[in-house]
Amino acid sequence: MKMAALCSEFGDLAQIKKQLISVISLCKERGLLHSAKWASELAFALDPLPKDNLPPEPAFTEEDAQDLDALTLAKSYFDLKEYDRAAYFLKGCCSQKAYFLYMYSRYLSGEKKKDDETVDSLGPLEKGQVRNEALRELRVELSKKHTARELDGFTLYLYGVVLRKLDLLKEAVEVFVEAIQALPLHWGAWLELSNLITNIEMLKSLSLPDCWIKDFFMAHMYTELQMIKEALQKYQNLIEAGFSKSTYIISQIAVAYHNIRDIDQALALFNELREHDPYRIDNMDTFSNLLYVKSMKPELSYLAHNLVEIDKYRVETCCVIGNYYSLRSQHEKAALYFQRALKLNPRCLGAWTLMGHEYMEMKNTSAAIQAYRHAIEVNKRDYRAWYGLGQTYEILKMPFYCLYYYRKAHQLRPNDSRMLVALGESYEKLSQQVEAKKCYWRAYSVGDVEKMALLKLAKLHEQLNESDDAAQCYMLYIQDIFSCGEQLEHAEVSTALRYLGQYYFKNKHYDEASLCAQRCCDYNDAREEGKALLRQISQVRDQVETPSADLFTPLSNNNTPVRRVSPLNLISFTP
Amino acid sequence: MMTNGVVHANVFGIKDWVSPYKISVLALLYEMTSSKITLPERRRLNKLILPLQQGPDLTLGQFLKTVEECCPQTAYAVKLRSMADGELKDMEYFFSTLPTPFTAFDSEAYKTSVVGLFMRHMLLAYNKLSFSQVYKLYKSLQHYYHSHYDTVGDRADKEELDTPLHESELRRGPLSQKQAEYFLARQAYLLKNDENKALRPAALQEELNNMLKFNPDFAEAHYLNYLNSMRVQDIFLSAHSLLHYFDRLILSGNEGKSNGDEGYGRSLRYAALNLASLHCRFGHYQQADLALQEAIRIAQESNDHVCLQHCLSWLYTLEHMKGSESTVLTQDSVKMAAHFCLPYLGSLDIQSLVQQGAMQGKAAHKLMDALKDTEILHWKHSLSELIEISLAQTTSIWRMYGKSTMALQQAQLLLNMSSLEPVNFGVHQNNTEAFAVALCHLAELHAEQGLYSATSEIFQHLKEQFPPHTQHSKLWMLCDLKIQFERHMNNRKYHLAEPLVKAMSALNKTEGLYRVMLSTAELHWESSSFSTALPLLLQALALARQHHLQSLASEAILHLAFTQLMLGIPEQALNVLHEAMEPILAHGAVIDKGRAMLLAARCHMAVAGFRLKGQALAVDGLNEAESYFSRLNCKERLRDVHYLQAQLHRSLGQTARSNKSAMNFRLLDQELQSPAPPVFMQL
Repeated sequence: MKMAALCSEFGDLAQIKKQLISVISLCKERGLLHSAKWASELAFALDPLPKDNLPPEPAFTEEDAQDLDALTLAKSYFDLKEYDRAAYFLKGCCSQKAYFLYMYSRYLSGEKKKDDETVDSLGPLEKGQVRNEALRELRVELSKKHTARELDGFTLYLYGVVLRKLDLLKEAVEVFVEAIQALPLHWGAWLELSNLITNIEMLKSLSLPDCWIKDFFMAHMYTELQMIKEALQKYQNLIEAGFSKSTYIISQIAVAYHNIRDIDQALALFNELREHDPYRIDNMDTFSNLLYVKSMKPELSYLAHNLVEIDKYRVETCCVIGNYYSLRSQHEKAALYFQRALKLNPRCLGAWTLMGHEYMEMKNTSAAIQAYRHAIEVNKRDYRAWYGLGQTYEILKMPFYCLYYYRKAHQLRPNDSRMLVALGESYEKLSQQVEAKKCYWRAYSVGDVEKMALLKLAKLHEQLNESDDAAQCYMLYIQDIFSCGEQLEHAEVSTALRYLGQYYFKNKHYDEASLCAQRCCDYNDAREEGKALLRQISQVRDQVETPSADLFTPLSNNNTPVRRVSPLNLISFTP
Repeated sequence: MMTNGVVHANVFGIKDWVSPYKISVLALLYEMTSSKITLPERRRLNKLILPLQQGPDLTLGQFLKTVEECCPQTAYAVKLRSMADGELKDMEYFFSTLPTPFTAFDSEAYKTSVVGLFMRHMLLAYNKLSFSQVYKLYKSLQHYYHSHYDTVGDRADKEELDTPLHESELRRGPLSQKQAEYFLARQAYLLKNDENKALRPAALQEELNNMLKFNPDFAEAHYLNYLNSMRVQDIFLSAHSLLHYFDRLILSGNEGKSNGDEGYGRSLRYAALNLASLHCRFGHYQQADLALQEAIRIAQESNDHVCLQHCLSWLYTLEHMKGSESTVLTQDSVKMAAHFCLPYLGSLDIQSLVQQGAMQGKAAHKLMDALKDTEILHWKHSLSELIEISLAQTTSIWRMYGKSTMALQQAQLLLNMSSLEPVNFGVHQNNTEAFAVALCHLAELHAEQGLYSATSEIFQHLKEQFPPHTQHSKLWMLCDLKIQFERHMNNRKYHLAEPLVKAMSALNKTEGLYRVMLSTAELHWESSSFSTALPLLLQALALARQHHLQSLASEAILHLAFTQLMLGIPEQALNVLHEAMEPILAHGAVIDKGRAMLLAARCHMAVAGFRLKGQALAVDGLNEAESYFSRLNCKERLRDVHYLQAQLHRSLGQTARSNKSAMNFRLLDQELQSPAPPVFMQL
């Protein structure tokens, strides 16, 4: 039903295309390059329109005609980044378009000066003090017009940006919503709004226009808020509605898969993306992260060289090269490239965290801490940085101290097993077994990616002499390992089998015990013990002639299983 | 600049920079050296120099006002105007005419003087400015000057719109590193010693946020943030700030060498220790224990004895807070501190040892000796904080032993002591915890003597010095409640006393519980037979004597005597009572004195029967008791006294006196409107 509604909404793709084409020209006239780029990419994904179906040129008013010359002149100055000059010639123009460009030039001029001055400020403490001087004047003028309701969609957007830069976030949200309602097709406004939304409740409380672009926004928001399942569903709907060729959607889906660590899916999508759009640099750092995780050296090397050829002074390129060096264990060089990325964009969050990882590899813990702290400063919700800090302190042998950081990371990613396992390990080191058990069990319940939680839980139970629980966990562990199919390096199936064999033997389940012992023989490190167990079993069986004796000596000794472990169906396991 | 791969914010190591305000200060200094100023004015100005140099940037209006208060006619403002109204070259000229501290040997601006140092800083900072920075400085100087002198008319429309911005932006500019350091040190000092004078928690928080916005690398601000959050009991924020501080510190303490032991290893240990103290303060004992163990382990691994010593101190504090025995640990700590020559920790340990000893009833002279020894140590190392604590502790101990005069003397000694801190030397009163404790004792002592107006005055003072939001305010609140409770109990207004018990238990659980037990015990005692109370009272007496708790012992004797009286052996009661009479009259509270006299009189009456001598003694006793009770305005007991007086006088045949007492009794009885208890079943 929902699908049907969606399809009807997207039914008229030609209509959407028309809207896109008109909004592209509007954005271009106003120098809003990123929004124009986004809309163009989307328009490119749709089928071309026949000639007579193209949208008409927007109406040309008397005012527009009056300002035409000034506007053309100013626009060319604007394109050459001579913002003050552009603003000078636009002063006094009365058309909406000219007014927007006038204000926008002033804003950009202030931003540019701010950037220039950051290098050249009077003192270290003043660095944060450097601000866009034009902002306040702009705000005064815009708010006057705003109360008089003289602002159109674009100027409302600019007003919102000014408010956000002045840290008046609440007002900014209101103005962005207004801007979106006035002009839903302007993606920049949606994007700005998305940066200000912190949680799902806030998202639900906003009143947004029901336009097809809202679906893009919602999908984007779900990805930001780590609600990956919902996001993927949204994107899937969009693809089915006819946007299947959009590189934007493909990259977003790939990023979403990356976020839930579905590496293979994400890799496939990125490869597809590079086929369609070989000179793309956006999102390639995420791609390189995936290649790194999979240790795909040649692919990563190819990607790095390819990107360097396209543009070596892009943040993404530097991150890719950093990852490349890191994979080759050349951590100094890797750190160097992450530093370069940060010089290009100090607010590049990923680079700080990655640099922290590199310092960790180089055993330079203090620099690692510093890097992670920077990452957190840029974005408090960066769980990897919190996790990294925790790891650093764990390496420094401060298990209690690192708890705080792991807890923070866990708070941000409640369903990520890695944080839970880390928390459990810390608790174990502090001899807080109860807490540790809880953490491991939770890690298993949320879907353990590293398949370590159950093993650790079992070992913990073993230490505490809780043999039934331990056996249960080992059993689950074996099932888990074999059900996931692939061979894991650190898998300790033999340990589990060994324990289970002994456990069954103690509880006089000789059939199961011998099965486990036989399985043990498949592993080098447990072969001898397996054989020994088999011998013991056959000895005991010889002594106890009648199998019925088992019934009269039931499991009444002190280690009676409270939860009887169901006998293993080991036949299905083929290592 | 990169060290160890990390970007340092402070590129040139410049801690100060030139701002328009600094130029104004320079102009003032210049004026002071060059022109003739009268001597008293000069003296006032000299006193102003340091605060002006260290404080945050003022607006020109504030600055002019401050200076004009000291010295009405100065010409430095003219110089400023010539710069602001003139051209860039005027500013450049000004800097070139400044007396260079290196050449001016005989002036106040010689290079090693305070002024000279400031001038050198400024000249250096100015000379390092680039072309555009100089121009920017000049522009901001013009703005600084004109924003004060120009009328605000042309900007009126802007003002009304910008109000939300103005508050946050214009209130205070960024601080230079020097100014920030000074600010932090000042606030931290005030938080410790005189919280009332420090900024309010919210204001301080805002200030710190502001500072961190301008320089996120300023780690000390995080620590102050931690202290500030502790004030408002915000565990979340304080833990966050504490860890943030140490994350930052770990880097700054590590210049160059990445695994240097003395560098960040040290701050790691103290980080864990601080975390332990945080949890300890919030009462998370298990967490504190874990953190402390971690700190101890790391300190042991790196052989840091000083840190270990700190850990040990916290360990016994923690054990003590958990309510378990920690004397042995404390003793160890004292020994270790002595071994490593840490006087502060050592005497702190001794003080807690004395406290524990006092609770456990150690011999009083030993405790006093120990305190005296630490006192010598304090004065030797001038540990003013510990001197205060020590005096407050002595007061408490004397109070505990029931020696009110000695306690009073010690409290007065502390309160009349001037501050020994170098920062505000000679300031009469600090608002530390020790002062709060001493004042509370003073209040209780006065209340015991029935001087309620004096008591309320003391509380008024406490309220001013330690407003309810500060950390030591709990002390006097509890004390206030205690006194009210005692008062109501004395007047037998149990219904009024009951809610107070609840309020007390909100502030302090054990104290409240103690009160509940006491009142219920008294109720039981009223109803139960007296013979069963006797062994209990004897036990209490023995215990009090063993712990040298004189006031409690006297009280137990009073109860004992009363029980004996009730059991019909007044001679024995009188004997026992004589023993307690002396200490009670010397140190006891007024109510106890009255009770003792009344009891003695009743015993005399019972013993004497109709013998004249005993009756005369009883009359004296009753009169004295009357005076004590009327001082406390304790009407119910007065009524009892009057009744006894009337009876006694009648039996002596003094009808007029008897009638007078009877009338007094009648008046009080009407006033109280509650039936008198059948016989005097109460002490």
